[in-house]
Amino acid sequence: MDVQTANANVSRVPFFRFLNFEIRSLDNLHAEAEMTFDDRHIGNPVMEYYHGGIIASFMEATAAIAVQPDFADVPAKPINLTVDYLRPGVKGPLFARANVTRKGKRMASVSVITWQTDREKAVAEGLYHFLLV
Amino acid sequence: MSDITKKKMEEIAQMWNARGKGLITHMALEIEEVSSEGVRVRMPFNPDFCVDADQTLLHGGILTALLDSVFGLANFVAIDGVSTMATLDLRVDYLRPAYSRADVIVRAHCFRKTRHIAFNSGSVWFEGHEDAEIARGTASFALTRGGTDLFDAMTKGKTS
Repeated sequence: MDVQTANANVSRVPFFRFLNFEIRSLDNLHAEAEMTFDDRHIGNPVMEYYHGGIIASFMEATAAIAVQPDFADVPAKPINLTVDYLRPGVKGPLFARANVTRKGKRMASVSVITWQTDREKAVAEGLYHFLLV
Repeated sequence: MSDITKKKMEEIAQMWNARGKGLITHMALEIEEVSSEGVRVRMPFNPDFCVDADQTLLHGGILTALLDSVFGLANFVAIDGVSTMATLDLRVDYLRPAYSRADVIVRAHCFRKTRHIAFNSGSVWFEGHEDAEIARGTASFALTRGGTDLFDAMTKGKTS
């Protein structure tokens, strides 16, 4: 699937519009996305850092697209997730790369990494499972 | 036994509700119960948090965000003298599809606190369906103590 069609799918999802991100690249096993900072993403009002839940949501969204960019009604069904928060997410764009580590008939396992200015300095890393049936 | 006063607890709840911006404002959270034993918070239904065109199925991510927020609140009220608090890690199990337009209820508590770390757990369900949890989460938070109290920083930050 091409990036344009994937973004058309993204724009159908109300919560994805709330997150305000775009898919930047896509192939069979990966998806990369960029989220634009907005005041509604703030978790720490003093430092204006991203809310941890927004970071986890953005990672989940990117992972779901990597697993099933051509979803019909709703994105891939999540089973569970674990997230490691490594650095604060500061005001500015946030990038995510989802890597499908295993995709079977019933289940998929996806690892996701997010960063801001330096890909080597991850803001968070996560592992997401999806149910494909 | 509580190590902070009831008055401070109420102030924390009030300050948390009055935060002028950010996700918490959008979630329109209402604190229903608050004590050092745990907190109970309500999130009204919001169509922006759904994944489907009919807007009746909540995205898992918003439940994760809700748990993360409410863990923070639980730590706030259970631990005194915290200057910063950051989520270290978070695990969430989505137990059922979150299919409803009912308000979401979350109950969370800090089940262990040390000088540097707080451990939390919480459950999420739709109002009236406590027997059908939609998500359960656990998290750990890194704490720093001394310096400016987080409560004071937030109270001041609100007006800036």
